Amino acid sequence: MSQNTSTSTSTSTSALAGTGVSIDIRNVVKRYKSMTAVDDVSLSIEPGEFLTLLGSSGSGKSTLLNIIAGFISADSGAIEVGGKDLTKVPPYRRDLGMVFQHYALFPHMSVWDNVAFPLKRRRISKAQVAERVQRALDVVELGHLGKRRPTQLSGGQQQRVALARAIVFQPQALLMDEPLGALDKRLREQLQLEIKRLHRELGTTFVFVTHDQEEALAMSDRIAVLRDGALVQVGTPVELYERPASRYTAEFLGESNIFTGRNHGVDEGSALVVRPEHVRLSAVGSALPTGHNAVDGVVREVVYLGSGLRVEVALPDGRHLITRSEVRGALTPSPGLPVAAHWHPEHALVVRDDTAA
Amino acid sequence: MSSTVSARAPQQSSTTPGAGQTPAPGRRRPRILDGWGLLIVPLVVFLLVVFVAPLVTILSRSFTDPTTGLDNYRDFFSSPVYLDVLGNTFRISGLVTLVTLLLGFPYAYLMTLAPPFWRGVMLVAVLIPFWTSLLVRTFAWVLMLGDTGVVNQGLMSLGLIDEPLQLIRNQTGVLIGMVQVMLPYAVLPMFATMRQIDRRLVQAAEGLGARPISAFWRVYAPLTVPGVAASCLLVFISSIGFYVTPALLGGPKDMMIGELIVQQLSAVLRWGFASALAVILLVVTGVLLVLVSRIVNIGKFMGGER
Ligand SMILES: Nc1ncnc2c1ncn2[C@@H]1O[C@H](COP(=O)(O)OP(=O)(O)OP(=O)(O)O)[C@@H](O)[C@H]1O
Ligand SMILES: [Mg+2]
Repeated sequence: MSQNTSTSTSTSTSALAGTGVSIDIRNVVKRYKSMTAVDDVSLSIEPGEFLTLLGSSGSGKSTLLNIIAGFISADSGAIEVGGKDLTKVPPYRRDLGMVFQHYALFPHMSVWDNVAFPLKRRRISKAQVAERVQRALDVVELGHLGKRRPTQLSGGQQQRVALARAIVFQPQALLMDEPLGALDKRLREQLQLEIKRLHRELGTTFVFVTHDQEEALAMSDRIAVLRDGALVQVGTPVELYERPASRYTAEFLGESNIFTGRNHGVDEGSALVVRPEHVRLSAVGSALPTGHNAVDGVVREVVYLGSGLRVEVALPDGRHLITRSEVRGALTPSPGLPVAAHWHPEHALVVRDDTAA
Repeated sequence: MSSTVSARAPQQSSTTPGAGQTPAPGRRRPRILDGWGLLIVPLVVFLLVVFVAPLVTILSRSFTDPTTGLDNYRDFFSSPVYLDVLGNTFRISGLVTLVTLLLGFPYAYLMTLAPPFWRGVMLVAVLIPFWTSLLVRTFAWVLMLGDTGVVNQGLMSLGLIDEPLQLIRNQTGVLIGMVQVMLPYAVLPMFATMRQIDRRLVQAAEGLGARPISAFWRVYAPLTVPGVAASCLLVFISSIGFYVTPALLGGPKDMMIGELIVQQLSAVLRWGFASALAVILLVVTGVLLVLVSRIVNIGKFMGGER
């Protein structure tokens, strides 16, 4: 059964497949009155890549995406898609598919007409339109709901229609602005997988916007971290997690323990980052593995996560240290227990401290 | 809420005499009207006296005065003169609707685009007619558009025309006068609809390959339909009953049914026939309302439920 559907789905997907194009963002700047929404961003996106723009609210993700789509014009800088400069090209001639957080489905049209809309703007024969709409709807598994109005669909279904509408005309690239932001967790995870599958099968370049670091880590080939309009770091999820270039990235992606100041052997303007899974706990006074750095503290809280334990250790200076460990460790931590938290120096990363206000 | 609370109070007072604060009219029977509820009585009486009673009178008169039967209606439908008046009424109302739509649609659209301050200015500008009497405004048009009026004098002194244009006492005059009166009724429902339309949909359409004009007509315009329909209906129905403006600005050929009713009432004293005319006007209006309400939810655009 399920195998059947997946084969039929992938044949219809391959008929919609495009070839990825590169997207080059060159020194793009956008200012609103006193604030800079996009601050001199340069970024090259590879053909067929899944790139995520990640940043907290107000970091300029939407603004940058809308500049790529052509809905907002940059104050300076250039956008090139597939080697062609699109800076002065209006959105309707850019041939980019866009999925909005608010879906932007046309309420006066049926699902079918919504998906047919971009095709009808492109002088495609009626038979072709019908065939491609059906295929796009099949890809998002909504083939049977074509006659409905968007308001008669659930949020997840609406978002799928928006997705079908964005891929049906085989755009050069697909831009998505927090497409899953309005959905509940389970649906979001399901659609994450579907979007990943679409990306694999279509081979189109995807630019995905989110403020959710887990979503970014799970989906992306590369992640571009934005902060206050500026690009902080670009890299694969593994690179960003294991080798964050700055304290901001380290704290934004995943959990981290940060140490600053001379008594931790860190210079002014730098910070020491240790990921929780690299911190181990031992009884105070017991022999530590050679070369390990250690701090003493008292266990404050233990959370059972199923796959392991998350332990918070209160340090003498009042801060907390977080560790993740397997349930069956050498030591069973419980609140109030004095422990030595230690890690191998190779897991302690010295990064630029860019969080000072 | 308060009415449900007070609705119980009199019932308690009838079982425990003397305890009630609200004097209960007509004891023992379960009542809907009491205390607060009584406040509605004047309104009902008012409506009965000024609305229902005259309507019933008119209706019965149209069938009984001067003879019992359908004579008044037969007179109307067998006379080309009267049918012409009905035709005029529809033609002029239709033209007024068309012109107010052509002027009001872009105006309402510009209002949605304008920054708040200018939107306010535009709103006030369109509402000004509400604050002056219809009669005064119509006379103002007579002064403006007459042979020696401002418009003709101005055009002649500029040398654009040699002799005055005939701007009143004809259909042009009626249209100018009525359009000015009806414009707010056209603009407001359309504006109310347009301001709720999500402009991002138009943007999305452009992103999907629609040129701006195509995006406007295929996405924005269809979403304005309920407002446009409400506007047209309001303007058309109001126009059908116009009296002062066509009487003062129109010529003898432009008589509308409202004028005919007045003429029959005050000059010829055929009250029964005038009543029949009023009934015809009412029926036409009612039929139109029903037809249009099949297409759009009118209540929503006349301030009713959402
Ligand atoms: N039209 C505008 N006028 C003025 N300021 C704007 C405008 N659009 C965006 N901004 C500002 O630019 C900054 C970036 O906005 P943007 O919408 O790109 O953020 P974002 O990263 O998408 O945030 P979110 O995750 O909340 O969507 C914000 O501080 C915002 O207030
Ligand atoms: Mg945003």
